[in-house]
Amino acid sequence: MNRLLEKIQRADIRKFRFWIQLFFFVLFVYGGYLAVDLGREMPIFSCGYDHEAGGMCYFMPLQHQLARPWDRLFSMASLGVLTAFLTFLAWFVIFNKAWCGYACPLGTIQDWMTALRKRLRIPYSSYSRESFTKLKKIKYIFLAIVVIFPLLLGAGLLGGEWRGAFCKMCPGRLITPMFVGDFSQWTIDFSNKTAIFLTAFGIAFTVLFFVGSFVKKRFFCFFCPMSAMHYIFSPFALLRLKKEGDKCTKCGDCYRVCDMQIWDIADDVTSKNILRDDCILCLKCVAACPEEDALHLDIVNMALFRSTKGGFAKRMGFEEGDNR
Amino acid sequence: MVDFIKRNGNDLFKNRFFNFLFRHPGFVFAVRVFVALLFFYAIFMGFYDTSKNNIFTTAVFWGIFWPFFIVTTLPIFGRIFCGICPHGFLGKYITRIGLKKKMPTWLQNRFIGIMLLFLGWWGVYYMFPGLYRTPLGTALLFTVMTLVAFVFYYLYKDMSYCKYICPIGTALRGFGKLSFTWFGSYNTACSTCKTFDCAKSCPYGLSPFNFNKKASMNDCTLCMECTHACEALHFKWLKPGHAIYQNFKPLKAEVWVYILILAAIPISMAFHHGLGRSNIGESMIWAKTARWFESFIDFGALDATGLFAFLYAAIFTITAAVAGMWIASKILKKDFNTVFYTLGYAFAPLFILASMAHAWEYFFTGNGARIVEGLAWGVGMHVDVEPLAKRGDTWLGVFHLFRWVAVGWAFYILYRRFAYIDAPKGRKIAAYPFAALLILFFIGVNVYRGYVIDTYGRKARHGHRGGHAAMMHQKAAEVPKMVATERDTLWLDTRLPSAGRHRHGANMRMGMGMRRNRNGVPERKVYLLGGRFPRGKCVTNADGVFYTVDVQNRYHKADPKRRGCVSVRFKMPKSGYYKVYYVQERPNLVRVAKYEFKRFDHSSDEVYDRQKMAAKTIAPVPFDVLRLRPEDETFYSRLHTGDRVRFKVLLHGKPLAGATVSLTTQFGWSRRARTDKEGVATFTLIKDYNPEWGRFNKRFRERFLVTARYRDGDTRFIATQTGEYMPARSEYLSYAWGLVIALMLLIVFGGGVWLYRLRVHKPFKEVVIDE
Repeated sequence: MNRLLEKIQRADIRKFRFWIQLFFFVLFVYGGYLAVDLGREMPIFSCGYDHEAGGMCYFMPLQHQLARPWDRLFSMASLGVLTAFLTFLAWFVIFNKAWCGYACPLGTIQDWMTALRKRLRIPYSSYSRESFTKLKKIKYIFLAIVVIFPLLLGAGLLGGEWRGAFCKMCPGRLITPMFVGDFSQWTIDFSNKTAIFLTAFGIAFTVLFFVGSFVKKRFFCFFCPMSAMHYIFSPFALLRLKKEGDKCTKCGDCYRVCDMQIWDIADDVTSKNILRDDCILCLKCVAACPEEDALHLDIVNMALFRSTKGGFAKRMGFEEGDNR
Repeated sequence: MVDFIKRNGNDLFKNRFFNFLFRHPGFVFAVRVFVALLFFYAIFMGFYDTSKNNIFTTAVFWGIFWPFFIVTTLPIFGRIFCGICPHGFLGKYITRIGLKKKMPTWLQNRFIGIMLLFLGWWGVYYMFPGLYRTPLGTALLFTVMTLVAFVFYYLYKDMSYCKYICPIGTALRGFGKLSFTWFGSYNTACSTCKTFDCAKSCPYGLSPFNFNKKASMNDCTLCMECTHACEALHFKWLKPGHAIYQNFKPLKAEVWVYILILAAIPISMAFHHGLGRSNIGESMIWAKTARWFESFIDFGALDATGLFAFLYAAIFTITAAVAGMWIASKILKKDFNTVFYTLGYAFAPLFILASMAHAWEYFFTGNGARIVEGLAWGVGMHVDVEPLAKRGDTWLGVFHLFRWVAVGWAFYILYRRFAYIDAPKGRKIAAYPFAALLILFFIGVNVYRGYVIDTYGRKARHGHRGGHAAMMHQKAAEVPKMVATERDTLWLDTRLPSAGRHRHGANMRMGMGMRRNRNGVPERKVYLLGGRFPRGKCVTNADGVFYTVDVQNRYHKADPKRRGCVSVRFKMPKSGYYKVYYVQERPNLVRVAKYEFKRFDHSSDEVYDRQKMAAKTIAPVPFDVLRLRPEDETFYSRLHTGDRVRFKVLLHGKPLAGATVSLTTQFGWSRRARTDKEGVATFTLIKDYNPEWGRFNKRFRERFLVTARYRDGDTRFIATQTGEYMPARSEYLSYAWGLVIALMLLIVFGGGVWLYRLRVHKPFKEVVIDE
């Protein structure tokens, strides 16, 4: 057992992650061809408009359920909402935000965009600290749209054309179906003004998704309402990213490798739970940390993957004891 | 005394608006004068006009003071009402000239006030409903209270009336703990203070500098007198319930006020007004007890049912609270009083949130209009205002949600207050459900009321006009009817024709066909119509036979409703095709009308079975027209503009060549075809739904009627079938625009990033330092 853990500590996380991501991408985008259906409560943007999806993003059924007329919503029908939510929670607690870093098809596509940019030797962009703190709130606005608009619809305060308003604007609706050859979402719906506006936003966000993720790593995740939703329930998750502040030397390696530019990972030496709302739990920070046990990924208080001097040395290309 | 203090960000006095609102002496004085004038004017009007015409007095007291000044402000700002209360406002002046005696100990009992509220007001309210609702009753009540208050203010010092006798004094003190606000002092300034101006200026003889230390605002009424004497006082905006999570010295009267008010208002209301007004209200225990007592006591004008509902509510509520806490105290191995009064604070939110929600809901459903009309009447005007919402509007459901917020919060407070009980964790966990017994009882009563009203329905109110039944009745009168002759075409459809103009393009999706009974099996109702499609009249003479066919193609003779418009109702328990036939066989004329509906319950385990879903006829129908299923049909499929539909005509179950089939759409387009050797006629559905763009509905269901005719010797065969189709996606979705927008944005965003990078990019420059 210890030898196995030792092996994990020395693993090449990048290669491991690439294959895991590819596996999940195939599972969620092409799962229908493989007769896989994991249900409609997936905590990732695996869009239901992709008819071959191996599991559907929870936001579509959530909006659908919350848009019921209130007298029905607040009756026994709320049990359905509750069971769906509990199923979502059950999926979520297993992996915590690693769903973002390892399983989400949109996240994977963004990583591929980054890889393409690297090949082309184009430099990446990043936010200033100020714009970072300002922009990070946007995901909660989107989350409010996911939750509040359907409720308003059920109350009769919004018309039926607002049904699934977030989905209409979400880049996932346009992107994931493309991978099974369905381009039918790349249209503007002229049936009413709201639909024009929403579908135009959908296209705009999709273009932004591609341009953004090409120049900025994990561009969309920063604005993703699912990420906001995850963060709200992350206290219940089994998988935890923890930091021992007294072992941290504030060298900043972790911040430099972080795709999401999370400042706290290097700067905060007081919190034990270092998972932040932008985190995608990609574990690059753990891999890049040169201090023994300063960062570790726990599953129910058992360290599954931790930063070690040996692992760091191996990943950096020099062996232990080799003082270069 | 402190003249200047650096205020924290969450101090409401820092904000100029709130500082003005709560603290500006002139403004607050003006508000107090205004409220007092309104108060006394309303009392005066109550005596002046005791008739029903006086809608002013009740509107002021029961429309404004209680729901807004008290119930709504309490959980938000705390007991700020006390600060503008006419009694307290005038009482301050009366006390100043009064005898300033110390209140005798036997009167220093908060339960006097609580019992005045509990029995004197709520008990009487249930026993003699409507007594306080009359202008005279209201005016008398408040006159008496005012006189009592003024006498006490004159006799005793430190505004003792507010503390002990005022019926809502202790209640406001208790429920104010749930508010967002906290009144206290800046300790940095107070630690060096030697003058204690705040305590000196307090009309109630309190020590505001101690509030933070004791984690209790004591009997502070937020009159803000002390804030004029010293700057070091704050009125902070904190998390709701901040005050109740603190470790303060519990006050028995507060816990009892939570329990008794919960019994008197939400629980009694749920018993008497909720369950009592359901159809099984008479079999409730309080109604039965009342009947039993009535058999040998004459109650006279007293409402015995109300009295016993109130009594039972009180008994059940107190029992739940005391018994639960007693068991909890045994589990915790602690003194009962400690446990009861420490944890009892958890019951606070149950009443106040439910009541606040009710106050708001009522504001929209009628009170708002009543206030405006009442106030207008008070100044001699007559206005007629419509309520802002109708009872039963779905969005009002949000107010029902508050009840559950209250429950959640109560559980949370209980959890927080357990921290102040010194016991092992395991015992605490075991004791928790028992300590929460009253909360569970509250949930139980609410759920049971909902269940009873859903299951048994509400008693019909007398004199209630309008409503659904009346509307239906009116509608039925408008429906054009006809007696069908042999020459008329007959068809089955779910919608009754209306006498008015045809609503072009309006969304009539559900129509009147689908009946959604809650949690029940969906039903459909089809009518036999005749005349010219689509404007048919409803047929009143149907001498043929009706058959209903289920998803397994099993048929039953149906018994139609024959009074008025002839209709057939059928249940659809499973997913699949359901059919209704009307068959009329005469010596030289066979007429068949058919209705077909695909039901899908949207469950994921339904499998589309091609065999089961195929179009089939049934034996008793001599002449049938089947809509053949498209190759790629699924449960989700619908017909769209541009689709080709194929109809197969059968005579005695065999394909019939050479029959005439015609398809007519709702907007009058019609086409004729002859069946081929296999008995099949094909049509392409055309687009003739062309409303103005603003009225276009992409889910519009356009009706069509298919008629098959055949003549065999002297016998004519006619079969009809109705159906519907929707606009095709290409009618409103545009790829071209999508691509144009995408490309334009790609250029804009991509170019933007490129230009930005060009601008901020600084080429490497060698810096040479000249030494």
